[in-house]
Amino acid sequence: MSNELLRCENICKTFGSVKALDDVNFVVQKGEIHGLLGENGAGKSTLMNILYGLYNPDKGKVFLSGKAITISSPLDSIKNKIGMVHQVSTLVPEFTALENIMLGSEGGSFSLPEAKVKKKILELSEEFGLAFPIDEKVKNLSAGVKQKIEIIRSLYGGANLLILDEPTTSLVESEFHQLLKSLKIFVEKGVTVIFITHKIKEVMEACNAVTVMRKGKIQSTVKGEDLGVESLVKLMFMEQDIEVNESALPKVTVPESKVSSEPVLELKGVCVPGTAEHHSLEDISFKIYGGEILGVAAVSGNGEKSIAECVVNPSIVDKGEMLVDGESICDDSILDVFDKGVFYTPEDRIHEGILNEGSVKENVLLGHHRRDKFLKNNLFVKWDEVSLAAKKVIKEFNVATPDENLSIRRLSGGNIQKTIMGRAFVSPLKLLVTHNPTSGLDISTVEFIFNKLVELRSQGSGVLFVNEDLDELMIVCDRIAVLHDGKLKGIFKRSEFDKYKIGLLMIGES
Amino acid sequence: MKDNKLINQILRGLLIYGSAVVLALGVTSIFVACLGYDVSDALSTLLTTSFKSSFGFSETIKKTIPLLFATYAFTIPFMIKFFNIGGWGQMLMGGCVTAAVGLSLASLGLPPVVMVPLLLVVGMLAGGCFALLAGFAKAKYDVNPIISTIMLNFVAYQFVNFIATSSLYKDPLEGHPITRYLPSSATLGFMGGVPVSIFLSLIVIVLVYLMMKKTKLGFEITAVGYNLKASKTYGIDFSKTIMLAFFIGGALAGLGGCLEVLNIHGRLIEGFAKTSGAQYGIFGILTSLVVAGNPLAAPIAAFFMSVLLVGADSLQRTMQIPVEVVFLSQAIIVMFVVIIRKRFGKGGI
Repeated sequence: MSNELLRCENICKTFGSVKALDDVNFVVQKGEIHGLLGENGAGKSTLMNILYGLYNPDKGKVFLSGKAITISSPLDSIKNKIGMVHQVSTLVPEFTALENIMLGSEGGSFSLPEAKVKKKILELSEEFGLAFPIDEKVKNLSAGVKQKIEIIRSLYGGANLLILDEPTTSLVESEFHQLLKSLKIFVEKGVTVIFITHKIKEVMEACNAVTVMRKGKIQSTVKGEDLGVESLVKLMFMEQDIEVNESALPKVTVPESKVSSEPVLELKGVCVPGTAEHHSLEDISFKIYGGEILGVAAVSGNGEKSIAECVVNPSIVDKGEMLVDGESICDDSILDVFDKGVFYTPEDRIHEGILNEGSVKENVLLGHHRRDKFLKNNLFVKWDEVSLAAKKVIKEFNVATPDENLSIRRLSGGNIQKTIMGRAFVSPLKLLVTHNPTSGLDISTVEFIFNKLVELRSQGSGVLFVNEDLDELMIVCDRIAVLHDGKLKGIFKRSEFDKYKIGLLMIGES
Repeated sequence: MKDNKLINQILRGLLIYGSAVVLALGVTSIFVACLGYDVSDALSTLLTTSFKSSFGFSETIKKTIPLLFATYAFTIPFMIKFFNIGGWGQMLMGGCVTAAVGLSLASLGLPPVVMVPLLLVVGMLAGGCFALLAGFAKAKYDVNPIISTIMLNFVAYQFVNFIATSSLYKDPLEGHPITRYLPSSATLGFMGGVPVSIFLSLIVIVLVYLMMKKTKLGFEITAVGYNLKASKTYGIDFSKTIMLAFFIGGALAGLGGCLEVLNIHGRLIEGFAKTSGAQYGIFGILTSLVVAGNPLAAPIAAFFMSVLLVGADSLQRTMQIPVEVVFLSQAIIVMFVVIIRKRFGKGGI
């Protein structure tokens, strides 16, 4: 087989008692865009980190173009022309694009041939259709542009095998299509791509061969005509019973529900001034009734974070009226708002959502720590009660943890999100504000979270569901409000949902 | 299952600290040998002086108490990831304000049951408010507390000079800046050579533990230390929490300084709150780093550090080995603990 580029044989890797990779055999042909598909925790990233030299395998061999190689550090992999773009940016924010690319790849210790490098980078970025401002500091650039820089950095290092780890996590739809175009060019120029993702929709669009992983094992590799949504879902979830619609999202039944006569949340002419942390909002007015899920659709960075945040943290609002159950919350602190039966799950689950050094129990308490239920004499925390509440969250939200005392950072992303979601249900809820609760999660967890939102709605509570994925919003929402550049562009009822129309409004056209 | 976990944790702790101490003593031995002294004599003097005589033991306790308070002064702000380098200054403030107030009230002839608690509160308030300056500057103006607390140390040092040389308080018979003795109604005594402030310290140990582990405030401080952004998102007031953490840390340092005045010297002496010529503040930081800011382990570490300090004094007296050799081994212990914990433990500093 002369066309074979990469072959992994019998790779095993264990972390403590967890078998992350169990006897993995994986082959990539030259010139492929090879999808590596699996749920969170299936072992995709572990396998790729072994190829990139970040982990050493316990057992097994790696062959490149038929030759056995050992990769014990990223330097080895760069020498073997393997490049990797990580899920989270590894660029130095204070450096420009040019400086980032030069970092670690150019010159001796004391010489920096800037002009030469610049010319070569510009050539490369033109060749591969990846244009970016080369002299701008990276901290001022969007996630999509940062990714381009990381790709060019790998190509600059001479990579002919490019590993992209969940490259679409922080991309918007249009950036994703641009990435697809670039991938096609890579293949033409002789670069082979491994594309790691948990989204079936993406591999269907991007890849011509797909390997499915599950629980540390390779399920199968499918190619060409065998590629189909159904077969991939079966391979990914085997015994799990998940129904999937055309766009590879879970099918969730949203039953009829009784909508309350009075709104649980009403915003009247709310304005938020623009700051470094918040995009501005102008004159936002809407109502959410009990038994209703209101979605907010927006391209990331158009004020969707401000909408979610202003409801729980009224101090950022400078004009307008906000009412929960008819009572003004404008002068309330975050905890006062929580006391009125509102709770929040933030967008960035690791940085805003959890106490990463704390236990599951401590994390469940956060936000409820001033409630009488958990305090004795308004001074001492009743940790017994907190344990009970945490146990309930673990049980009702299927959090995979041995007990509530485990450090939360040892949980997977999906289980962390379930804990954050479960925390919202610790006290009676009138209104849940949730922002991108499903981002980066596999389809079974997405389905689980959707069902919880629907359950909440059936109990007569309201949900403000701010989400970057329009497909997801259209599955569970009763109404969708569209936000562009801090202004509300329209609210659609379920019967009026039209992906094309909403999409146009989201990008500011109408 | 749970017991096993606890035993494992304790074993792991012993392994980390044990190996760090052994390694540090090994390095120290090399230095001692190079300087031409007998290694086994030096080591046994260093480690056993505290336990060989009641004098050695009471000396150790005398050092443990201020060291413990200096350790808390660093540990509590460190729980929200801020460095309070000003433990020493806060001790000085606690001590000198205590002395000034105590001498000013002397003529009133208040009984000890009023005088002593009053001065304890005064000392705590002085240290707490002094540290609060740094907490306030951080909360309102984002001033790095490392800088502000170091600077405030100089202020406190000069303030001690000011009080100790002022004509109101100075002892006219002394050449050095020293105040007159406080009235006997204000000072504390000894029990079998051990300062009675040990009882107060034991109460404080329990209170600090309860506060950090069992109260709402302790949870908020812990939460801010774990993740500032998440605690803000879920309604914890960052400014209030950081100011409280600094106030509590400073108040404990102030109490340490106050007890030095009331129980050890009976008056304010320029240069108090030092041991073997070095500030308790610095040793407090060292001790806190060793226990990675764990308030439960602080008393044990403070006691062990004091054993070494007493041993160091004894080495100098009996074998003419300079005390600095022991400072060296303490520094090495800290470095080994940090390295070993980073490498094999769950992190820390």
